[in-house]
Amino acid sequence: MNVQTLPLHEEHAALGAKFGTFGVWQVPLYYSSILEEHERVRRRAGLFDVSHMGAYRVEGPKAEYYLDRLITRRLVGVEAGRAVYSPICREDGGILDDIIVYKVRSDRFWVIVNAANAAKDYEWLHSHLEDGVKLSDLSREMGLLALQGPASVPIAARVLGHDFFKLGNYRFQEWQGGIVARTGYTGEIGLEILLPHKEIARWWAALIKGGKQDGLIPVGFAARDTLRLEAGMLLYGQDMDEEVDPFAAGIGWTVDLKKNAFVGKEAILKRRQNSKRQLVGIEVVDRGIPRHGCEIYRNQKKIGAVTSGSFSPTLKKNIALGYVTIENAEIGTEVEISLRDRFLKALVVKLPFYRSSQGV
Amino acid sequence: MSFPENLRYTKTHEWAKQDGKRIRVGITDYAQKEISDVVFAELPKLNQEVEQGKPMAIVESVKAAFDIYAPVSGKVVAVNKGIEANPALINQDCYQQGWLAEIEANKESEWQQLMTTAAYEQHIQQSVK
Repeated sequence: MNVQTLPLHEEHAALGAKFGTFGVWQVPLYYSSILEEHERVRRRAGLFDVSHMGAYRVEGPKAEYYLDRLITRRLVGVEAGRAVYSPICREDGGILDDIIVYKVRSDRFWVIVNAANAAKDYEWLHSHLEDGVKLSDLSREMGLLALQGPASVPIAARVLGHDFFKLGNYRFQEWQGGIVARTGYTGEIGLEILLPHKEIARWWAALIKGGKQDGLIPVGFAARDTLRLEAGMLLYGQDMDEEVDPFAAGIGWTVDLKKNAFVGKEAILKRRQNSKRQLVGIEVVDRGIPRHGCEIYRNQKKIGAVTSGSFSPTLKKNIALGYVTIENAEIGTEVEISLRDRFLKALVVKLPFYRSSQGV
Repeated sequence: MSFPENLRYTKTHEWAKQDGKRIRVGITDYAQKEISDVVFAELPKLNQEVEQGKPMAIVESVKAAFDIYAPVSGKVVAVNKGIEANPALINQDCYQQGWLAEIEANKESEWQQLMTTAAYEQHIQQSVK
């Protein structure tokens, strides 16, 4: 395996990062403590380097129709300056990836995709190219920072010198050769900042230094995972993959059924009617932390498996996402999770597990 | 990192403290740092028989579960209830309040196989390389 490092690898090392691998990427897992970093994002602010993610630019007079046909949500007619979270699906309705499309103008878009899927996505986008669309892979030239948490507001105003929080949720604007978007993967308010590599070190340093007075610390991938799990956000490759459709994955709201043809539409509709399993939130009642792969039972009968599970630092409970058979997906269903030599009592609960008071 | 001289150590980063036949067991400063924030501990049951080098407890961080291996064979005669309620004690005070269990050793020779502080420090340096 060819291990890749982030453009800010040296900066992370200097901050005392403990590294781990995420796909082919060597990334900071944590700097000080996972629990402290998690809590800091919930109460104050944290800065993440998520430059491993793939970034493409799609341009041209047909760019909007081209992307609209590949994603399950509507893009045509959406106002410029909007960030659209959507799955892209295969013809058979299976989710190829979940991505964000940023509409700069109707002939100019940014697309940010999961790092692990970047090669596959590029191939998919490339194979669907048509005249009047230009696709550029800028993953090697662009980095991505995420500034997340309630104190992001004063920090952004002071350090970035601009009140990006005037933008609504899932809005963005162009900045410094990239974009700043009101998006994130933590369940807190915040910004994601896409920047050319030559700009990224300077803004990372400025935010680390200038954010300190508001409690900002660097946050690694471990806390990123617990934050997104509490917020009920899915991780591609773990909570969803090519085997499931958006309805089964609990993101059916991203499928615009009124939209004209898009790749996977017919199959998704059919699968929705014959749906056999469903992603649910699970709260563990007994002592024990469910992990990816733990089987889920009801009345001694296997009904599914955990896809993500962790101790929730905010709720001080053990929580999980997992798939269960459709008849067991109702909120309040009592289930059991097989862990080592025991069964843990657990409950199907409403998602998200945690919701910020700031309404994200 | 500190490794008290009055303890013995295992390759798998447990410490053992001798008090007659009773051996108190915990994880080392190195192990707690590597595991990072402990959020859950599953201790052995009282009177459970454990075997040297075999898993006797589980310590979990936010990210993963780690097996804790028995430094000596014998019967579990005490477990630290305090860390079930507050697993962070394993990080905060791994040699005192963060102990896991006490084993009544049944083979005296096993204690002699454990590493001294100097040997353990050397072991860590090698594994870091």
